[in-house]
Amino acid sequence: MTEPSKRKEPEQPEMRPHVYDGIQEYDNRMPNWWLWTFYLTIIFSAIYWFTRYDAGFIKMEEEKMDAFIAEVEEARLAARGDINADTLWDMSRNEGFVSQGRTVYQNYCMACHGENLEGGIGNNLVDEQWVWGNTPMSIYEVVANGSPDRMSGMQAWMGDLGAQRVNQVVAYILSYHDPESLADASTENDPIAE
Amino acid sequence: MNTLSSNRQVITYDDHHVRLFMLASIFWGMIGMIVGALIALQMNFPALNFETSWLTFGRLRPLHTNAVIFALVGNMMFAGIYHSTQRLCKTRMANDWLTRIHFWGWQSVIVLAAVTLPLGLTKSKEYAELIWPIDILVVVVWVIFAINFFWTLAKRNEPTLYVAIWFYIATIVTVAMLYVVNNLAIPTSLTHSYPIFSGVQDALIQWWYGHNAVAFFLTTPILGLMYYYVPKAANRPVYSYRLSIVHFWSLVFIYIWAGPHHLLNTSLPSWLQTLGMIFSLMLWAPSWGGMLNGLLTLRGAWHKLRTDPVLKFFVAGITFYGMATFEGPLLSIRTVNALAHYTDWIIAHVHLGAMGWNGMMAAGLFYFLAPRIWKTKLYSVQLANMHFWIGLFGILLYVSSMWASGITQGLMLNATEEGGTSLVYANFVETLDTIRPLMLTRAFGGILFLTGWLLMIYNLWKTIRGAEPVDGTVEVSVDDRRETVEIEGTISPAGTLFNWPMFYSFWVMLGLSLWFFGGGLIMLSGVMLTAFFSLLSIVHFQASRATWAEWYERLIGNWAPFTVLVFIAVAIGGVIQIIPTLVVQKAKNLEGRVQVPYTPLELAGRDIYIAEGCYTCHSQQIRTLRSDVLRYGDYSRIGESIYDFPFQWGSKRTGPDLSREGGKRPNSWHFDHMEDPLSTSPGSNMPPYPWLLEQDLDFEKMHRRIRVQRMLGVPYPDWSKEEVVALMEEQADEIVADLRSQFRSTEPRRQIVALIAYLQKLGTYETPEEARERIESSGVFDR
Repeated sequence: MTEPSKRKEPEQPEMRPHVYDGIQEYDNRMPNWWLWTFYLTIIFSAIYWFTRYDAGFIKMEEEKMDAFIAEVEEARLAARGDINADTLWDMSRNEGFVSQGRTVYQNYCMACHGENLEGGIGNNLVDEQWVWGNTPMSIYEVVANGSPDRMSGMQAWMGDLGAQRVNQVVAYILSYHDPESLADASTENDPIAE
Repeated sequence: MNTLSSNRQVITYDDHHVRLFMLASIFWGMIGMIVGALIALQMNFPALNFETSWLTFGRLRPLHTNAVIFALVGNMMFAGIYHSTQRLCKTRMANDWLTRIHFWGWQSVIVLAAVTLPLGLTKSKEYAELIWPIDILVVVVWVIFAINFFWTLAKRNEPTLYVAIWFYIATIVTVAMLYVVNNLAIPTSLTHSYPIFSGVQDALIQWWYGHNAVAFFLTTPILGLMYYYVPKAANRPVYSYRLSIVHFWSLVFIYIWAGPHHLLNTSLPSWLQTLGMIFSLMLWAPSWGGMLNGLLTLRGAWHKLRTDPVLKFFVAGITFYGMATFEGPLLSIRTVNALAHYTDWIIAHVHLGAMGWNGMMAAGLFYFLAPRIWKTKLYSVQLANMHFWIGLFGILLYVSSMWASGITQGLMLNATEEGGTSLVYANFVETLDTIRPLMLTRAFGGILFLTGWLLMIYNLWKTIRGAEPVDGTVEVSVDDRRETVEIEGTISPAGTLFNWPMFYSFWVMLGLSLWFFGGGLIMLSGVMLTAFFSLLSIVHFQASRATWAEWYERLIGNWAPFTVLVFIAVAIGGVIQIIPTLVVQKAKNLEGRVQVPYTPLELAGRDIYIAEGCYTCHSQQIRTLRSDVLRYGDYSRIGESIYDFPFQWGSKRTGPDLSREGGKRPNSWHFDHMEDPLSTSPGSNMPPYPWLLEQDLDFEKMHRRIRVQRMLGVPYPDWSKEEVVALMEEQADEIVADLRSQFRSTEPRRQIVALIAYLQKLGTYETPEEARERIESSGVFDR
């Protein structure tokens, strides 16, 4: 070497005396970064456990979920509070609501109720024959909470769709009807909600 | 064996079985990958099940995983272990008959698996699907392997055990422990059984097994092979002996604890989830220790990579190992897991391991072995290089598309709007539509990897055809044996347990246990105890390094004490996690909700659900996550799967969760959906199951199954066979009548009826008071 290096010459690593089928082993020091990765994960783990279970200032998942479920229920009740027959009819005459509702319908309802609401696994929604009531609010109720004969009827959709999309899809269905003819239509059961 | 002189002799190795194991691995690997390619394509083209039960994803997926794990890697591991152990012990395998039985026994297991799994004969526990008679065969073959292996160690002509052997020992001992415990079951017939654990206990034990099958079947034996074949192929010394020691012991000790990271955010008790997470984080460095020792061994030999395909495969394999073992701890972090679990990200992760680590190491091993155990040269280095690049590209395509797919779908499934109270993509199919091109890319990547494998088959075929098989030999002297005999026995049975490392381990584990389970002062004393003995052990070690090193030198010359210590190290994690769970979670003292037991018809439907492998795509566990609760309903409680023998929490959501499916949709919907999923779920990639509408169910067999469940503690009354059949007929008639009213015609004994009964029961629970009454009136616990 022409220039004296400031770095310490690496020591020749120690070689283990024994040879296995021609394989030799050095006994190099373990890399410090590797050792420290190991130490830090251990230290982190101890702290993590301590803060979760011993220090007591972290909320457990179940507690957080119960609060969340209450929050969702509250939001949905609040949204439902604004809904009545008049607002639903208004929505059904609004182009934005109806076109949004059509998208929701095509995504979630069409498979059972048919492309043109003519029915299939689900009931016909344009034939002036209503199984669960001939009012906007009973339609809303069936969409949101499912039909009363759950095993052979429809599932509840509020959980999947949320308040907004339930409004939209009900508006879409109502857009095929008008208040007078709906009130005159026949129904097999009393309307669910008024 | 011919004698040279009185104190020197030449020993011939048994390389015949090494050749057989190698060829078996290559052949079964090809089968496993072809099945993999088929089921990958079924994700995009569900019609590729040809409406045939035994070609359907749910039945073939277990065949794919079992073939790759137990047939490809299993046979490869045995080839490498038999080849290297003889050379590292300077002796022939102890008994040729045992080797022969091991080989043919293992191939019988594989053939039986390949027949039974497509027939729907399964226990449904992942990587432990094989039915109980095959399980027994597996255990017998494994014990024969173990006897052969340890007997070989006992008659070795090499005083101490090389690090590769340590890993083989850990593999043999731990796989035996895991396999036996996880497969404990009570048979109801020659082909069917119920596991003795249910619900959360079964989940915990399954993933204690499942995770450590990855650890001790796919990792430790291959690390052992790495320690032999990498220095051999590179002709370089191993990088660091002390790193070997530290990463070996930390790896086998820590790995066992990490199983619960497969159950994060579920109803598994929180403390277990956290242990799973933190032990996974602590596993990062021990895993990388193996990678470092492999890669750094190549220092000074990197130029050889240019010319030697064997080293190319090894280096890629070890690098993939490093990637996978970094990704593993990352995925175990609770919040990362909330996104990644149940998605294709996990599929990316396992294939990084299976194709990248196992597949590349296997190919390297075979290219290394073939010209040595046949007297010849590799037919074409160029073809081997082509295999390498095609395979590598295939893996990268596979893994990156699955990463993208998993993260995309995870984000879409978790996306909320309206202030977090509503899902953006409420229809599961919307998320599926987005990842379709990525799934297709994955299939292409997999097919590329298979293409590489086929190139290897051609290359090796040309290499060995007409070549003369050759068995290695070694010359040993009486001195070799004498040295071995001298060191064996220097650690007594008592000395195995009473030594400084064991002393400190004991006190630290005691401290940790008090810390985990105690409250207040007990917890604090646990913390102090842990800290005190940890520090003391470090100080003591620093002060008397030489003595400890001398002790370890003796330990690796004593195979039995070494094996005992390995067993203790791998048993601790399981004991601390599983035993409290078994003691605490009994139906009688569950809080909150208790599952309503299945009626006989529902149970029969459940058995169909299991046989069809529905769990391979549908979970039954709503996690404590906002998006899960919004999408599937209230989060799952621990008591809601208490009568599920086996548990059905699942590990992948190719379709939606089914925990609360019961009563959600009409019977007619399910009927139509099973016949043609697209009729009710446009865009779905679920295959049709028309045979369920045609095939009959044997009602009479349910009596024995109910009896076994009663034996396991499910509160069924002591029904007679006639009573069971009558109950089934009654419920089946009701469902058939309801279907008829919806204009769907079927017969009460059709399988679809029982399956609908089961699906409509999912998520049914009762209060603990009601449950207690049921238990008392059933008389289950009177005995």
